[in-house]
Amino acid sequence: MNKKSNPIEISQVNSTLVKVSPWRLSLGKLAARRYLLFIILVAPAFLLRISTAAYPILQTIYLGFTNLNILGGTNEFVGLENYLQMPYDYGVRGAFTFTVIFVLASTILNLVIGLLVALLLNTSFSWRPFARTINLIPWAIPTIVAGYLFRWLLDDQFGMIPHWVYITTGERMVALISPWGARISVILVQVWKEAPFMAIVFLAGLQGIPEELYDAAIVDGANVWQRFWRITIPLVAPLVITLGMFRIVWSLANFDLIFGLTFGGPGVATSVLSLRIFQEGILFFKFGFASAISVVLLILVGITGLIALRLFRRYDVTY
Amino acid sequence: MVVPQKTKLSFDFFSKRFGKISTYFFFILFSLIVLLPFYWLVRSSLLQAKDLLKIPPIYFTLDLTPRNFITLAEQIPFYEYTRNSVVLALGSSLVSVSISYMAAYAFARIRFPGSNFLLWTLILSLALPEIGTIVPLYRTLNAFKLLDTLNGLILVLSSAMIPFTVWVLVSFIKQVPYEIEEAAIVDGANIFQIFWRVLIPVTAPGLVTMLLINFVGAWNNLLFPLSFSASPQSKTLSVAITEVYAGYSPYGKPWELITTIGVVMVIPVIILVLFSQKAIVRGLTGGAIKG
Repeated sequence: MNKKSNPIEISQVNSTLVKVSPWRLSLGKLAARRYLLFIILVAPAFLLRISTAAYPILQTIYLGFTNLNILGGTNEFVGLENYLQMPYDYGVRGAFTFTVIFVLASTILNLVIGLLVALLLNTSFSWRPFARTINLIPWAIPTIVAGYLFRWLLDDQFGMIPHWVYITTGERMVALISPWGARISVILVQVWKEAPFMAIVFLAGLQGIPEELYDAAIVDGANVWQRFWRITIPLVAPLVITLGMFRIVWSLANFDLIFGLTFGGPGVATSVLSLRIFQEGILFFKFGFASAISVVLLILVGITGLIALRLFRRYDVTY
Repeated sequence: MVVPQKTKLSFDFFSKRFGKISTYFFFILFSLIVLLPFYWLVRSSLLQAKDLLKIPPIYFTLDLTPRNFITLAEQIPFYEYTRNSVVLALGSSLVSVSISYMAAYAFARIRFPGSNFLLWTLILSLALPEIGTIVPLYRTLNAFKLLDTLNGLILVLSSAMIPFTVWVLVSFIKQVPYEIEEAAIVDGANIFQIFWRVLIPVTAPGLVTMLLINFVGAWNNLLFPLSFSASPQSKTLSVAITEVYAGYSPYGKPWELITTIGVVMVIPVIILVLFSQKAIVRGLTGGAIKG
């Protein structure tokens, strides 16, 4: 077929589809058809997103300014009262602090361990296919099941992990009973659950590095450390940044894991904003207050997004 | 003096520096960390309640019993919960992938000033925390009589998965050479025929991949059924496990039942993943790398 054939001829043959690849739209009657097609194809997705995500978020922002309480029967516009109350609310204060700790600590650990696992999965050894397959298991397990499972594994009386710790060191481990023990446990379980996904993406990134770079470096006399730091790390850095940003946003939204593992306890030691929203809203029916906390969470997400944009501009991420 | 070797993977950090032994050491460590919790889950579901509370814990025994599964089936509306989970997962993955595919095709093939911006708005909407939408959605679903229905859940859940699916499908479709569609256009195909005869067969691997990923995501979802379901009419297994967790047994929390329902939730997904590892990996990385 002669691709250079006259585009006008094609349009006369088939009136629905005019321009040839890719369809660059301009003004005109036939272009209007293209716009119409675009709208039809894209409408369901946008309608769904607007009705179940965008509009509800706007409603939430509005509700944050009310004191809607299904149980107490109040529903008035109270301005910033919810927000002013927050620094004095023990639950929200604790949740905010640990949210920041949790998100930063788990993201950094996720990135580091994800990269290490990716390096392992990139190394050639005979059991590698097996390793790559079982790597997906933590990702596939429902988060709530992982939460309960580790609650059971870390049980101070009958759990497997404290038992091992006792056998090897003689110390009694009270992971989920002490505040910091619970916090560290939550962070580590989060890493167990999410690092495999990081590893998969990093692995794809590592595989994209051309081998010639390493060969040239070897010829130039570089040793393994230098090859790692001068070649691997810089080429993988954009991916690390991208994934790190996603990881932060997803951690902020994370609910299932802490719900199952500690339910915010002991006290509010492992409480996070998403859990707090759930408790204030679904358990205490303080919808207005819960919405205000949601807005705080949204602001955190927004800040992360802005930082991400800045970083992408600086490093010229082209993914 | 380093002599370049003709190994296939000369940039192996681990095998060059530390040798095969340390590679296998890390591999075994990795496997243990990943698989031991899973083993513990299955072991706990097959033991009687009193055996679970032994100190030191029983690591390995052949004294297994399926009684927990039977107890579970008797005490909770097991059939309804499982059916709901399956319907929800299948339904929302089908809806999500269909809608996303149409949108992805439009974004991949029809471009105009601002189309890229629209695409990114759609994709970035996955950053909106779902927990922040629960309260208004509850009231909306209530108004449309969609509370405690599978339809309502499918609606909400498929919407949540659209951004990521569109992201990945756009990059998959962009990889299909346009000449194929050109040929179909010249042969006089209309848009529907192009979809069904040309595009879908060619992008079938990507479609299957996204169906799998969406299925897993919907199967595992807890927040939406927890917030919007009230009865076994639409509650799923993920809600069921929270209910079992809140139960009591003579020994405290009924861990043997909790782990049993955990096993029921986990086994189907594990099987899916084991058989489609390559496909899933291709989907998970498709958006991030080639995007």
